[in-house]
Amino acid sequence: MIGQDKLFAIFEKVAKSSKADETEIVYVGSNYGLTRFANSIIHQNVNEDNARIFFRTILGKKIGVASTNSLVYSEMKDTLRNSLEIAKYQKNNVNFPGLPGPSEYAKLDTHYEATAKYSPRDRARQVKKVFVRANKRKFTTAGAYATGDGEIAVFNTKGVRCYQPFTSASINIIAMSETSSGYSVGLSRKVEDIDVISLADAAVEKAYIGKKPKPLEAGEYEVILEPSAVAALFEWLNYIGFGSKAFLEKTSFLADKIGKKIMADSVTVYDDANDSSAIAMPFDFEGVPKKKVVIIDKGVGKGVVFDSISGNKAGVPSTGHALTANDHGQGAIPLNIFLDPGAKTRDELISSVKRGILVTRFHYINGYIDMPNAVLTGMTRDGTYLIEDGQIKHGVKNLRFTDSMLRAFSTVKGISRDRQLIPSWWDSVGCIAAPTIHLGSFKFTGTTDF
Amino acid sequence: MKDKLNSALDWLKGKKVDYADARFVRTETESVRVTDGVVDTLNKDVNVGVGIRVIDRGAWGFAAVASVKEADIKKAANKALQTARASATTLKEKVKLAEVTPFKDHYKSPCEKDPFEVPVDEQVGLLLEISDRLKTDALIKTAEATCDFFKTKKLFCSTEGAEIEQDIIESGAGYTATAYDGNEVQKRSYPNSHRGDYATHGYEYVLGMKLLDNVDRVRNEAVQLLKAENCPDTVCDIIICGSQMALQVHESCGHPTELDRVLGTEISLAGGSFMQLDGLNKLKYGSDIVNIFADATIPGALGSFGYDDEGVKAQRAPIIQNGLHVGYLTSRETAPVIGKTSNGTMRADGWNRLPLIRMTNINLEPGEWELDQLIADTKDGIFFDMNKSWSIDDKRLNFQFGTECAWEIKDGKLGKLLKNPLYTGMTPKFWNSCDAICNKKHWHIWGVPNCGKGEPMQVARVAHGAAPTRFRKVKVGVSK
Repeated sequence: MIGQDKLFAIFEKVAKSSKADETEIVYVGSNYGLTRFANSIIHQNVNEDNARIFFRTILGKKIGVASTNSLVYSEMKDTLRNSLEIAKYQKNNVNFPGLPGPSEYAKLDTHYEATAKYSPRDRARQVKKVFVRANKRKFTTAGAYATGDGEIAVFNTKGVRCYQPFTSASINIIAMSETSSGYSVGLSRKVEDIDVISLADAAVEKAYIGKKPKPLEAGEYEVILEPSAVAALFEWLNYIGFGSKAFLEKTSFLADKIGKKIMADSVTVYDDANDSSAIAMPFDFEGVPKKKVVIIDKGVGKGVVFDSISGNKAGVPSTGHALTANDHGQGAIPLNIFLDPGAKTRDELISSVKRGILVTRFHYINGYIDMPNAVLTGMTRDGTYLIEDGQIKHGVKNLRFTDSMLRAFSTVKGISRDRQLIPSWWDSVGCIAAPTIHLGSFKFTGTTDF
Repeated sequence: MKDKLNSALDWLKGKKVDYADARFVRTETESVRVTDGVVDTLNKDVNVGVGIRVIDRGAWGFAAVASVKEADIKKAANKALQTARASATTLKEKVKLAEVTPFKDHYKSPCEKDPFEVPVDEQVGLLLEISDRLKTDALIKTAEATCDFFKTKKLFCSTEGAEIEQDIIESGAGYTATAYDGNEVQKRSYPNSHRGDYATHGYEYVLGMKLLDNVDRVRNEAVQLLKAENCPDTVCDIIICGSQMALQVHESCGHPTELDRVLGTEISLAGGSFMQLDGLNKLKYGSDIVNIFADATIPGALGSFGYDDEGVKAQRAPIIQNGLHVGYLTSRETAPVIGKTSNGTMRADGWNRLPLIRMTNINLEPGEWELDQLIADTKDGIFFDMNKSWSIDDKRLNFQFGTECAWEIKDGKLGKLLKNPLYTGMTPKFWNSCDAICNKKHWHIWGVPNCGKGEPMQVARVAHGAAPTRFRKVKVGVSK
C-alpha cells in the first residue's frame, strides 16, 4: 500500500509535465494471494504485487489513453507522453464533455487490516479445515481461497482527488463424490466473515444429497434458483442489458422498454455502490461519485448506468459508473448489483413447489443468442435436484436451459428474504447481492450424462 | 535481466529448493476501436514484471512482482518459497517433473511489418473507412471495427540451467455491423466475430485480410438478416463454416484434452473432462476421418511459439487420430501420469500468472472435399456461418452454439438466408457423425484471442486450423 498522500504527490509531479489541456491519472494497485486446491491438496498457490496506472490526456475533444504497471517516475512520464501522442492522432470524440470536476463522495470503510495481513499460511490453515470436514464424510474437494488488499486513486487536473483502500476475501468450494458435486461460496471485505467450516459443510451436504443423480427429461419446470444461480443470470443480464453501450446501441433488452413491464412485480434490481453491506466503492474510475441507479423497479424497466461520455451522448449526467479509461469503449456498467429480497425463507420457497428443480449454480452461460429478448443458455452444475411435494427428492443429472429471462422472471412466485454476496469478475470493487428465487416456469432444452 | 533472474534462482538453490524457474515478461499492447466513426478506444499499454515458481518440500509456490529491481525479484523469490512451504502442509505426494532439456535459445515469431512502427493514423484511417462504409445503410445501427497488437518479450531461466528468450508479435483485426429495425437486432462480422482473426505475425497480417473487400457484403447481410426467416427447429445434416469449426474444436476437443482438467485440477472454475485416462487409445471420439493435432510449430499461427513457459520446446502432438483419442495436452507435472514427457503447452498470461496447460494450435486436419462439392452432395441441410454464442457443460459433453446466420441447403444448393440459428449435441456422438471435411484450399488457422481459464483468471491466445465440415443428423434449434 502506498497511501493517498504519496500517490497524489507522485501524480502532481507527473501531471506537471503534461502538455495536454486536461490530464487524468488513475491508479489501481493490489497485493493479492490465491490458494487453489483440488483432490484435497493445495496445487496452486500464488501471490501478485501489481498496479495499473492509466493516463488519459485531452487535447480539445481528442482523447489519448496509455497505461503502465510501473511507478518509476521516468516510465510514468513516458506513458504520459505516449497518451499525448495518441491524443494528437485521435479524431474528435464529439461525445466527450471534458473531464469531471471534483465532487464529494461517501466516506466508507472498505479496508480491514486482518484481511490485508492474511498470509499463504493462514489460507492453507483454513483450506485444511475444508479438507478435514469433507474427508470425514468421504468427499474430496476443489476450490480457491483468495485474499488481498489494494488501493484506487483517481487524480485529474480539474481537481479530482479520490482515494479508496480496500480488502477482499473470497472462497469457493466444490465437494465431490464419484457421482455428485456440491458448491458453496463466500465473499466479504473482512476475512473473518468467511466461515470456512459452514461453507465446507454446505458444499458437502449438497454433494451428499445429490449422489447417484437420476436423468430428467428436458422441458418446462418450476425452479428454485439459489443465489449463485440467480447471480450468474443477472451477471449476464448486466453485461448485455444494464450498461450504457448496449442501451445506446439498442441491443439491450431495456433499450425500448423503459417504463414498460418486463418482469414480475416482485423483481427490483438496482446498483448501489455505497451500500457497505456488500462490496462498496464510493466513486468510479473517472472520480465521479457513485449514484444509486434503479434498473428494474417492481418489474418495470427503469434505467441504465452511464459514464461521462455515454451520459453526454444520451443527454444525461454520469451516474458514476465509468470503467478504467482503457475500457471506456465498453461504456458504463453496474458493478454493485442488488436484487430486492422477498419475505420467505429458502425452505419455505422449496416447500411451495409441487414438482420442480432446485438449481445451485449455472455453468458457461451465454447471452448473445437474442439480446433484445434476453435469451440466455447455460448448464446447471454442482447440485441440481428434483423437488416433489415441497421436498428435495434426489439429485438429477445436469440440464441445459435456453430461455428468455424476461419471460422466466415474469413468472416469479417467491423470493427469499436472505441475500448472499456472490463474487464476479469485478469482485474487488463490487459483487451481486442475490436472493433465492422461485420461478413458475423455466425452460430446460437439453440434458447431459452426469 | 538474465543475471537478475539467475541471481534469484541461485538464492533459491541455496535454500535447497527442489526446483525453481523465473520469467521476465514485458508485454506492449495497442488496441484501436472505431465505433460509428468515433475512435472510442486508442490505447497503449506496457506491462512488465517477473514471476517466480518454486517447488520446495514437494509443493508449489508462486510469486510475481511488477518490478525488475534485483531486490524486489529476490523478495518475490522468498515469497514464492514461503508460499510453497504453506502448500506443503497439505501435501499427499511430492510434485515430480518430467525431464526436459535445459535449452539456451532465442525464438522470434515471423514479422514483416512491426505494428508498433505503423503510424496510428494509418490504423485509425483503415478502421474509420470500414466504419463509414458499414454505416451507409440507415439500418446499420452500430459499426464497430477493431485492431489489436501485442509485442511480448520473455526470458525464462530455471535452476536446471535453461535460458530462453522469446520475442513474439501478435496482430489481429475485425469488424461487425449491427442492424436494427426497431424490433430486432442482427449482426454480421468479418473475418470472424469477437474482434476478428489473429496470428503471430506483424501488420502484414491485417493488410492481407481483405478487410475493405468484404465491407459491402457484411453490411448487406446484416440488413438482410432482419427480414430473413428464423432457422427452423429440426434434425438435419449440417455444414459448419471454418471459423465456427475452430470454436467447435476449441470447446469440444481442445479443453477436454487438457490433462490438468482431466486430473481434476481445474474443477473449481472451468470444470473437468469426459475424456478420462481410461479412454486413452480406446475412446472412439469421432469418425475415421477426424484427425486433430496440437501443433505449436506452425510459423505465424496464433498458438505458435518457440518454447512454452516451462522451457519445453514447441511440438506437434496427435490428439485424435482416425477418430481415436490418442493424446492430451500436457505439462512437465502432468505428463508423467500417462508415462510421457511434456508436449509443451504450459503458458501463462503474463509475468504475474502461473503457467497452465493451454491450447496451442489445435487443428482439425483438412479432408478431401471442395466446398461446392460438399454442398452439392447435401440434399437437405443447413450451412452455419460464424460464431455468435457458445456454451458447453463442465465435462465438455453437451454443447450449444449459435451462429450469426445460416443458409438452408436444398437439393445440393444454398437457399434462403436464415437468422438466429442454433445447433446442439453431445460431443462424441456429434464427432462420430462427421462424414466430410473440406480440403486444404478451404482450411485456415483461426486465431482465438480470448480463451479464459484458471483462478485468478488468465486469457490465452490460441488457434485452430479448420475447414468447412459436415455432420449428419444434428439437432438444430432448441425445441425438437
